[in-house]
Amino acid sequence: MITREDIENIALLSKLFVDEKDIDGLTEEMQKIVAFADTINSVEVKSGEFDNINNLQNAFRADEVKESLPVEEILKNAPEQAEDHFLVRKRA
Amino acid sequence: MKYELVAGFETHVELQTNTKIFCSCTTKFGGDPNTHCCPVCIGLPGTLPKLNERVVEYAIMAGLATNCEIAEIAKMDRKNYCYPDLPKAYQISQYDKPLCEHGYIQLSNGRKIRILRIHIEEDAGKLIHNHGDTYVDYNRGGVPLIEIVTEPDFRSIDEAKEYVEKLQQTMRYIGISDCRMQEGSMRCDVNISVRPEGSEKLGTRTEIKNMNSITNIAKAMDYEYERQVDLIESGGEVVQETLRYDDATGTTSSMRSKEDAHDYRYFREPDLVTINVPRERVKEIQARLPELPEKKYARYTEEYGIPEKDAAQLTKYRSISEYFDKASEGLKSPKTASNFIIGQIFRRLETEADKEALDIKTSAEQLGELCKLLESGKLKNNLAKKALDQMLDSGKPVTEFVSESDMAGLDDATLTEYCNNAINAMKNAVEDYKSGKEKALMAVLGNVMKQSRGRADAPSVIKKLKELIG
Repeated sequence: MITREDIENIALLSKLFVDEKDIDGLTEEMQKIVAFADTINSVEVKSGEFDNINNLQNAFRADEVKESLPVEEILKNAPEQAEDHFLVRKRA
Repeated sequence: MKYELVAGFETHVELQTNTKIFCSCTTKFGGDPNTHCCPVCIGLPGTLPKLNERVVEYAIMAGLATNCEIAEIAKMDRKNYCYPDLPKAYQISQYDKPLCEHGYIQLSNGRKIRILRIHIEEDAGKLIHNHGDTYVDYNRGGVPLIEIVTEPDFRSIDEAKEYVEKLQQTMRYIGISDCRMQEGSMRCDVNISVRPEGSEKLGTRTEIKNMNSITNIAKAMDYEYERQVDLIESGGEVVQETLRYDDATGTTSSMRSKEDAHDYRYFREPDLVTINVPRERVKEIQARLPELPEKKYARYTEEYGIPEKDAAQLTKYRSISEYFDKASEGLKSPKTASNFIIGQIFRRLETEADKEALDIKTSAEQLGELCKLLESGKLKNNLAKKALDQMLDSGKPVTEFVSESDMAGLDDATLTEYCNNAINAMKNAVEDYKSGKEKALMAVLGNVMKQSRGRADAPSVIKKLKELIG
């Protein structure tokens, strides 16, 4: 059973700010989500060997260098940048 | 009360593949910031990682070289944590199904350090802190690592030092990493605790991070051992925490305590499929592994009768041991080649890096040729030494520096002539010898050697001199 404390802990780990007044609502929603997952878990399956839906294994790539992107492209979506680096500001 | 040290190691080793673990960007060290990056390694949404086959191969090599069992089925997992060095906010690693498990490294005191596991994962980016702001360079992000985790089997700092050296040596031999601690391609974290001697129960441990040399590992462990013992002796308790070692002050300080220990929420990486390692593949990799330093050491000391100290020097780097193996091929006594390498050749290689690079002009075959002439008695030791110096200077073979007449030695008539010359020239020394000063004969011998330009053989000269002096 998901509790208020779980929500607070998950928020902390995910570095999310959750307003005090929203916690109860979120707890309830999360309980429903986990209950849905429990439904899936309760289904009886015969084979214990289930891995992935396509039964894929060993999808490897050869160790051959391809060109990287130009630094401008890499930094294009950076919220902030400085001297060709991603810039993370000190939190106030 | 006496306290016993108990320690375990977690070592990250950067693999020398061409490309990163999940994308085709180069793994080259350095480079301008964020120039070895692509949408996969900066974690853009919608990208699909694809595992580099060589990473799996290298990890298996590391496992085999450390006596591990290689898993038939392995998989990748997500390890979640939020920090700017990790653009996806998770690291792709291995949790409950690592590639290698249950190995060991044996130390010179006979103790085995058990290896719990070796798994593969991606490296994080580099953070540069500047006035509270952080600059992030993702060139290193996604570079393949193996993490080698031991059981808490260390009981002394010397054991820890030897383990790190051995690990470094082994990884370099099999050619999967350069293991340069200063450059960060090998990084150690140490778990350390103390307990009253004789006690079976483990004490509370701390984890020390951030040590970039074997010397610092030793210093940090020493400091932490004393700190924990003092704490317990004064009635305190060790707190489980992660510590940072500060090289400048030689002390450890707290990074985080158990209370804010990470909850990594590992789960199966859905973007990567299962790794299946057929047994034939393991055998094939095993067959390609070079002879490991321990085996070479045993061969050199037991079969060749090379002194332990010399054997340790010969096996320290693969380059040296392979040079020696080649040079000593077909020799009656491989020790001849070993003496030349450790003496004259090492004298020209000042630093450890020079020794590892072994950048000398004389090939192993050329040294072997010289050794064979010496063994056959065609070339005397002092001439051989002189020739080797000239060979090392020029890169030319031994035949360039020793003539047929040098190798022919001296006939008896010439030897008698030289000896008579010397006896006449050094009357005082001869008199001294006659009056019982054995050593005086050495001066006369020197004179003969000079006349013969080193071709004479010292024992036969002495014999001849004694005959003539009577």
